[in-house]
Amino acid sequence: MRYLTFALGKGRLVESTMEILNKCGITCDEILDKKTRKLIFTNEELKLKFFLAKGPDVPTYVEYGAADIGIVGADTIMEEKRRVYEVLDLGFGKCRMCVCGPAEAKKLLEHRELIRVASKYPEIAKDYFFNQKHQTVDIIKLNGSVELGPIVNLSDVIVDIVETGSTLRENGLEVLEEICPLSARMIVNQVSMQMETERIRKLINDIKENL
Amino acid sequence: MSKVLLHTPDGVRDIYGEECSDKKIIAEKIHGKMKSFGYQDIDTPTFEYFDVFAEEINTTDAKELYKFFDKEGNTLVLRPDFTPSIARCASKVLLENGTPVRVCYEGKTFLNTSNLQGKLKENYNIGVELMNDDSVMADAEMIALLVSCLRSAGLSDFQISVGDAGFYKGLCIEAGIDQETEAAIREQITSKNYFAAESLMNERNIDSKYIDQILKVSEFIGSDDALDKAENIANNEMSLNAVKRLKKLYKVLTSYGVQKYISFDLSVLSKFNYYTGVIFSAYTYGAPDAIAKGGRYDNLLGKYGKDAPAIGFVIILDDLISACKRQGIEFEHEASAISVTYNEDNFDDALKKATDLRQQGKNVCLLHE
Repeated sequence: MRYLTFALGKGRLVESTMEILNKCGITCDEILDKKTRKLIFTNEELKLKFFLAKGPDVPTYVEYGAADIGIVGADTIMEEKRRVYEVLDLGFGKCRMCVCGPAEAKKLLEHRELIRVASKYPEIAKDYFFNQKHQTVDIIKLNGSVELGPIVNLSDVIVDIVETGSTLRENGLEVLEEICPLSARMIVNQVSMQMETERIRKLINDIKENL
Repeated sequence: MSKVLLHTPDGVRDIYGEECSDKKIIAEKIHGKMKSFGYQDIDTPTFEYFDVFAEEINTTDAKELYKFFDKEGNTLVLRPDFTPSIARCASKVLLENGTPVRVCYEGKTFLNTSNLQGKLKENYNIGVELMNDDSVMADAEMIALLVSCLRSAGLSDFQISVGDAGFYKGLCIEAGIDQETEAAIREQITSKNYFAAESLMNERNIDSKYIDQILKVSEFIGSDDALDKAENIANNEMSLNAVKRLKKLYKVLTSYGVQKYISFDLSVLSKFNYYTGVIFSAYTYGAPDAIAKGGRYDNLLGKYGKDAPAIGFVIILDDLISACKRQGIEFEHEASAISVTYNEDNFDDALKKATDLRQQGKNVCLLHE
């Protein structure tokens, strides 16, 4: 039997993912061991392999078939627009994609002025402002600590993930508009879905029952 | 010295040496299979008026076309796909007496896809079209020919997923879903995103009975028993006819002996709305997407003024070859040329030797000592 390979987005999704997989009888405790230096983890019994990758890279691994299955946030899938099957909403890792900024920036979103938007998600920001709000904006791609944008006057607002909103509040920012809700998703390589239909469909159904 | 541009633009590449000769050999093998089924070569222009492609392409994809203008200001497009060009040409000259027309083509297609996604913008396609024949036999011939083409390239582990556009269309018509919603649902089902399809249908207030039926298409995957299940839930004529036709198709494919490569999947749909009947895609390990796609398009030719049924498929040769390489499949390589050396004194003898060998069909390089 061929190995089925999982790519998991590093970070907070890993534990919830393994919890659900455990309920389906799939175990791989090594992956939760923070001290390990291994890159690939194997479950020989079920012929499964697991590896951790940076979130935005997970759809890429899955698209090329380096992994058959990926677990990653909906934000990454929307941003990367890869050719993969998005088969399941796992329901955990819930948060929102929002436009945030200081309270006084709210009026900038009403008048359709040309404003600057900083984001780690330029594609999502572009789609929201251009196609849904019809507002012309300059989008600035940042790679982290996006909240800095409005504080140091790099941008008027930001587009980012909001979970509890505490980082925003601590920095005098707030949610101005909500773009869409987000959660963890399971994605599948298009070829694997056709070639390993039985195994993958069973897995999807098992997970569905345990959600 | 001025700066010399040595690299190619993103999305296009040079192919040379063994890779190039391998590609030619494989293309020739596939072409040979098509010829053996009686298909005749056709060649259409590399660029055409935009209108030729406008019918099949929706607005988002129109962005991916390479467009330019001629002196009169007409919009021209580098072909993104052969089928509309061939439909245009066929409706003009080939379909006059109503007998089946079989054509095969090969060449490059151009799509201005986004950068850094590892997709080529120039792809080599080999395909066939069978026009003026709406029978199940034509559907089966198409799929059997595809199997035979892929096998001739050396591939043995692949799967052809077969569906029928009519099944899903019938359900949508029965449920009274408008075109725009239908296209949105189709897009989600094509990417197997059933929960998005479900929430979309709930949003648009579609009867829950039909939502269940449409979502069930995800379950009809497998060999002919999947079709029995599909037959049980369909209440409308269009969907039932689609299933019946697929059952007949399976029988004919069994006669061809290719049923082991076939898996039915009623959620195989296409973003191209012109497909009216059977739709199929070939998958194998090592390629990110289907290596070949095809289907029946009975309405497309009508748009160019000549109503006629048609079916075809296209193989993306670059994807097929890279999948073969990743699977470690050995290609038959071109034999290297024989060297014949000469110097100033014996050139005439060397030339005669080389000419003789060339006449025997050998590849000969004449080299200075």
